[in-house]
Amino acid sequence: MAKVRIKSFTVIRDVLGAEVVEVEVSSPETVKGVFDELLRRYGAPLKDKLCDSASEGLTAFPLRLNDEILSSVLDQDRPVKDGDEIAIIFPVGGGCQWPRLSGMAGTPARYSE
Amino acid sequence: MATSFRYGGYAGQILRVNLTTGALSIEPLREDWARDFVGGVGYSARQLYQEIPPKADPLGPENRLMFMTGPVCGTLIPSGSRGSVCAKSPLTGSFFHSIFGGYWAAELKFAGYDGVIVEGQADRPLYLWIDDDRVELRDATHLWGKDTLTTQAMIREELGDDEVQVATIGEAGEKGTPYGMILVGIRAAGRGGMGAVMGSKRLKAVAVRGTGSVKVPNMLQVYNTSLKLNEILAGNAGVKGLLEYGTARNTGPLNAAGILPTRNWQTEVFAGVEGVTGEAMKEQVVKANRACFGCTINCTKYSVVPSGPYKSVINGPDYEAVFGFGSMCEVDDIKAICKADEICDHYGLDLMSTSCTIAWAMECYEKGIITKEDTGGIDLRFGNAEAMLAMAEKIGKREGLGAILAKGTREASRIIGKGSERFAVHVKGLELAGHTPRPFASAAVGYATGPRGGSHHDARTTAEKMGLSDRKVLDDKAALAAEVNHFLIFNDSVILCHLAETVWGPIGVTENAVEALNAVTGWNLDVEEGRKIAERQWNMIRCFSAREGFTRKDDQLPPRITEDPIPEGPMKGAVMPRETLERLKNDYYSYRGWDLETGNPTREKLLELGLEFAIEDVC
Repeated sequence: MAKVRIKSFTVIRDVLGAEVVEVEVSSPETVKGVFDELLRRYGAPLKDKLCDSASEGLTAFPLRLNDEILSSVLDQDRPVKDGDEIAIIFPVGGGCQWPRLSGMAGTPARYSE
Repeated sequence: MATSFRYGGYAGQILRVNLTTGALSIEPLREDWARDFVGGVGYSARQLYQEIPPKADPLGPENRLMFMTGPVCGTLIPSGSRGSVCAKSPLTGSFFHSIFGGYWAAELKFAGYDGVIVEGQADRPLYLWIDDDRVELRDATHLWGKDTLTTQAMIREELGDDEVQVATIGEAGEKGTPYGMILVGIRAAGRGGMGAVMGSKRLKAVAVRGTGSVKVPNMLQVYNTSLKLNEILAGNAGVKGLLEYGTARNTGPLNAAGILPTRNWQTEVFAGVEGVTGEAMKEQVVKANRACFGCTINCTKYSVVPSGPYKSVINGPDYEAVFGFGSMCEVDDIKAICKADEICDHYGLDLMSTSCTIAWAMECYEKGIITKEDTGGIDLRFGNAEAMLAMAEKIGKREGLGAILAKGTREASRIIGKGSERFAVHVKGLELAGHTPRPFASAAVGYATGPRGGSHHDARTTAEKMGLSDRKVLDDKAALAAEVNHFLIFNDSVILCHLAETVWGPIGVTENAVEALNAVTGWNLDVEEGRKIAERQWNMIRCFSAREGFTRKDDQLPPRITEDPIPEGPMKGAVMPRETLERLKNDYYSYRGWDLETGNPTREKLLELGLEFAIEDVC
């Protein structure tokens, strides 16, 4: 069982009712588990803000897990542990759906900051 | 009134105004250019490439100022009734386009024109009055020196019609301030000094009233397309918050992510953010929402500070004002930002260039490069809201140090020197927008290669922020930057609002954008054909810059971005090293089929895109 603090802004904060709330996740103890629990607890009003009507899945947005910036879609399997904090960095820009990433092939190479 | 143009959506004619001779004429819209460049910025780029001689003085009579609409303007297509204004920029020295919302563009279409080309230079202040097919130049001597909102009100009163839409300049444009903007109703064509070009021609305003309509080949198809697009907008999580918090909703989240440019880009975490968030704005100043013609998003906020030193009434502030006057100047009071926004509107100043240049001057002041004697007694330290506002006033009036800062960050740093060029944050003379390229490689190469420089409408961080593309993977970023270019330029030609990225972007030419264009024009383009148009448009603009002498060496980012890592927060350490940027530029030019040495289009690429007329200028 992991207790995770959730920090949010604007429309998400309006639904959660506070700048910071805490959720408990047990299975799975992952980013996905955290959002499943949030959506279970806050229901349709949160789903209305965080999920696309068409896909019903989480829309793409960044989130901060402690000091690391993650993606709501790419990093759903990232483990969380007791005492972690997730900041929902949402919304940013004009929102988006998953686009076709055509014509952008290439072997990924990571670079160092 | 509209002509029988071959394609739907278009009025089919352009109004030409020669201010030197006073001649007014109408010329047909070119069908071939409509198919090849669509409208808006694409069409303007083709037109102005032909009309503006190389090396023309941006503030001289040879420059042109072209207002343009897109084919969807004035229809039901949501977020599609914006206008563009293009010219050679006095700030950057190359082709520039500035997009504006509001109602003016739709009104022009209803009057029966796709665009207006202004050339020459009047010998006294004038304003243009377009009343359907009755067009006249009227004396504006009594308006010269008046602020933008007063000018709009006086023209409406003079014409006896509250529905007249007015695009006007303020004192900044009149005085040739290279980042003077054009206030268009409640929105602005803000960046790049389009207001200065207008002022150089002694054109105070363009007032429009139209009572016609836009013809489309199949009204039911346009209706159904609009319905579908509005449903997507209404159902999208990202768009919903725009109604409640406007674009300033981004401030808190960006700060939490460690990517809110602060203290003239010395850091990207703002300790005083709580005073300038979307929440603070909503609680303290917002009174109502405003929408552009035909748009269901309602992102503009009407804000009032009823009393006190920051007493003001504005349409805003948008995120860029909060970034510029807030975190960049370390001012943590949303009411002070409202006042700064009002000052910029009053004088007709681009608030992004104004605020970023003041932030640069604050760093100069704290480093002792400029003194209290230079500032005229103003204690120009970060966080001093009164000092920030006083300096904005001085820029508007071009008084004292304000006259130097009115030249923009690049030119001001050249004048003041003493190492201040090192922290002058601009690209090609345009101050960088409030979206950091340090951790985002596609945005970095997008800003560097962008024809306008530091514009977040030539490069977007959205895809990497959202995680649509892994920001730590370098290999796809040049292609991503190019396809984001295509999203942006195609949408600036149709013209569709970038803020509705949900529907129109955020990468490449999308099916939704093509569907909207097809529905209105009666065309049957597919996405690949749309992409080819976008590529042609982007190359056309690059040819304009190449002819002006721009090459690969001009595609740079400032030292603060390439040498100074973010010092704190979740993005601590992020920087865009120059060698990484050079590698990205190689990738970008290769992806585009451009010459690696010059960074400009090759003969083969120009032939492929039907731009052979530019070969002798560029290759």
